[in-house]
Amino acid sequence: MERYDVLVLGGGVLGCFAARHLTRWGFHTALLEGREDLCTGTTRANTAIVYTGCDTPPGTLKTRLCVEANRTFDDLCAQLGVPFARPGSLMVSCGPRAQRVLERKLRQGQENGVPGLRLLSGAEARAMEPGLTEEVTGALYAPGTGTVNPWELGLAAGENAAANGCTIILNAQVTALFSDGPDWGAETARGTFRARAVVNCCGLYADQVQELVAEPSVRIFPGKAEYLVLDDTVDHAPRHILFHEPEEKGKGLTVVPTVEGKLLLGPSEGPGADKDDWSTTARGLDFLRTWTARVLPELDLSQTIRSFGAIRPNPFYVYPEGETWVREEKSIHNFTIQNPRPRFWSFLGIKTPGLTCADGLGRYVAGLVAEELGRKEPNPAFDPVRTPPVRVKELSFEARAALIRQNPAYGKILCRCGEITEGEVLDAIARGAVTLDGVKRRAGTGLGRCQGSVCAGKVMALLSRELKVPVENLRRDGPGTNWLGGNDRGTL
Amino acid sequence: MEHCDVLVVGGGAAGMAAACAAANCGATVVLAEREDALGGVLPQCLHHGFGLVQFGADLTGAEYARRVVAELADTPVRILAGTTVLSVHPDHSALLSGAKTGLFRLTFRQLVLASGCRETPVGALPVVGTRPAGIFTAGEAQRLVNLEGRRVGNTIVILGGGDIGLVMAQQLTRNGCRVAAVVEQRAFCGGQPRHQKACFEQLGIPLLLRATVTEVHGRGRVSAVTVRHLDTGAEEILPCDTLLTAVGLVPERELLRPLGTPLPGWVHLCGNCEHVHRIVDTVTAQGEAAGHTAALQIGQTFNAQSEL
Repeated sequence: MERYDVLVLGGGVLGCFAARHLTRWGFHTALLEGREDLCTGTTRANTAIVYTGCDTPPGTLKTRLCVEANRTFDDLCAQLGVPFARPGSLMVSCGPRAQRVLERKLRQGQENGVPGLRLLSGAEARAMEPGLTEEVTGALYAPGTGTVNPWELGLAAGENAAANGCTIILNAQVTALFSDGPDWGAETARGTFRARAVVNCCGLYADQVQELVAEPSVRIFPGKAEYLVLDDTVDHAPRHILFHEPEEKGKGLTVVPTVEGKLLLGPSEGPGADKDDWSTTARGLDFLRTWTARVLPELDLSQTIRSFGAIRPNPFYVYPEGETWVREEKSIHNFTIQNPRPRFWSFLGIKTPGLTCADGLGRYVAGLVAEELGRKEPNPAFDPVRTPPVRVKELSFEARAALIRQNPAYGKILCRCGEITEGEVLDAIARGAVTLDGVKRRAGTGLGRCQGSVCAGKVMALLSRELKVPVENLRRDGPGTNWLGGNDRGTL
Repeated sequence: MEHCDVLVVGGGAAGMAAACAAANCGATVVLAEREDALGGVLPQCLHHGFGLVQFGADLTGAEYARRVVAELADTPVRILAGTTVLSVHPDHSALLSGAKTGLFRLTFRQLVLASGCRETPVGALPVVGTRPAGIFTAGEAQRLVNLEGRRVGNTIVILGGGDIGLVMAQQLTRNGCRVAAVVEQRAFCGGQPRHQKACFEQLGIPLLLRATVTEVHGRGRVSAVTVRHLDTGAEEILPCDTLLTAVGLVPERELLRPLGTPLPGWVHLCGNCEHVHRIVDTVTAQGEAAGHTAALQIGQTFNAQSEL
């Protein structure tokens, strides 16, 4: 049985970045993921924003990591070959209460060292974003706010970790943890793995994994969030990220022009049923539609191509009361990183701006591990650069023509909504995609206006051919998601 | 750079007819079809009812396609199968890509857009709940069943009582699947009478009128859908493992966006990208007319130039 320096549990965006930075320290690292692919949990449903650091008080870890991450995000994405856009954001108000929130965020942002913040009048805001309602009374402009595709970022970090020596073990959900002398052991369906240290990045399930070795202290309660996606052809689409601060206290609308050119509306906010409840509700989607009609009255919601649900890992401190554990009233606001046992760390309920700070959090926890394990020098052979997949659509005519001459699969358009080629799908499979959505998250197929109804069969045929698995056994994404429904019941 | 008189985008019924017509008028024609085979949606239509007007015969879609493809083979049309038109530009040029042809630019004098239509995916509908595996558009299911011999599911709810929904309801039933219901929002079923008769009288498939699917259930695979009866507001849960959506076709005209509005006179639309047709025969007729018009306009340009 192979013994590692560090086991990373969970292959979402946080686990992938933790693994990346552990290899940067030269640790012999394994990443254990319960599912068949990386980035299939909370990472796959996220608002995709790279925040500036206006939203949190000075002096916290969250603020420090967020401001630093925003400043260096271009470099990170250049290293990892991930598309990143910095359209800037307008936080808009329609009245005096919201205006005071803007002013408070301006002061807070300035205190946190966020550059370029500016308060705009309603007219100035509408000049920048003509689709905004005439009711807008003011806006806080943050030129640094950006957007990145969360799963692209996570998968890129995972690939970079693997390229630097991290072993990625899939379908390896941890069922038990034990300490054995100086080592930790993790039992999984793929066998038992040992290491000197463990970093728990299990997202929604991080509390349950920690409780395999420690008394409860923080529990994660799922919150529901819902989104709408509008096609890239929609007229009057805003060019900036918009945060609407409603005059009535409560959740406003967030609008993100994504790196793919789509418009993301959301999230709504509501209580989640359980940690596997990814459903949308009429209440949540009505909330989004109603606010959109008020804030961006010209926007044509008939251009909606998708709605989806997300789950937020809300952490709460818990305390014992008789036989049960009772949670505190308010959820924990700061990033919660616990070290309940020697050489065992947990990320518990890392929410906004977790995506922004994922690299910073990985760096941070890897630093803690290095200190504990007495590692003084980072690995000089660490290569932070990942070779990105070819995005054929973005090549010049000459480069694209040459690539197709070299490999004709890059000439065959497979997903016409996104102009994605067979070559890109084959590359996604070579990089580890084993499901329909695994290809989607790597190559971008099925994200467009037809939602995969034209290309899904072609992607499945390629997966079947490359993986040598009958189409009947292929899944869309995760357990029980067999794409074809007939054969598993033997009714043919 | 390659040049032609008429570039036809799409090798379905409309595009093939347009290409034939333009070529028969003496124009040089390039027909670009993104799939490897011509025919568009026709080859996956194994039911009858095609060609009564054009050929005076009751053909399947696949048979209809074979006849038109044979006619096309007798013309000098240059057929580029497996080649996608990526963009068209106001300067009468297009960018194309294919595995065999590579990436290339083409100039043309007239453009015939015959790119068909696409199906509305469930994401565009006001349907809440989960997004499990087992949701297909009807056309996608038809392709999987008829061209690839797949089985999409066992117990199926079909949303939409138009022709496509009814054709799939019959076919899936005959293939041994159970169609739990065809759900139609209107007070009547829009499909052709013969399809209605086959579904509801002969095969006894339940039809729910003035009803719609409002929610999908199931975490891995579809386990049920909620159907709401629009007149009473009552809801019922129908267990199923598959949902087919057959609720509306959207003309595919995204390619024309760079040309602005109104469209230049050298662009001709035909077939389902112009408006969604009920039968293929009128698609063919409209394609022929578009091909003629395109060729005629070139002739007029010739004449105008020679008069000068």
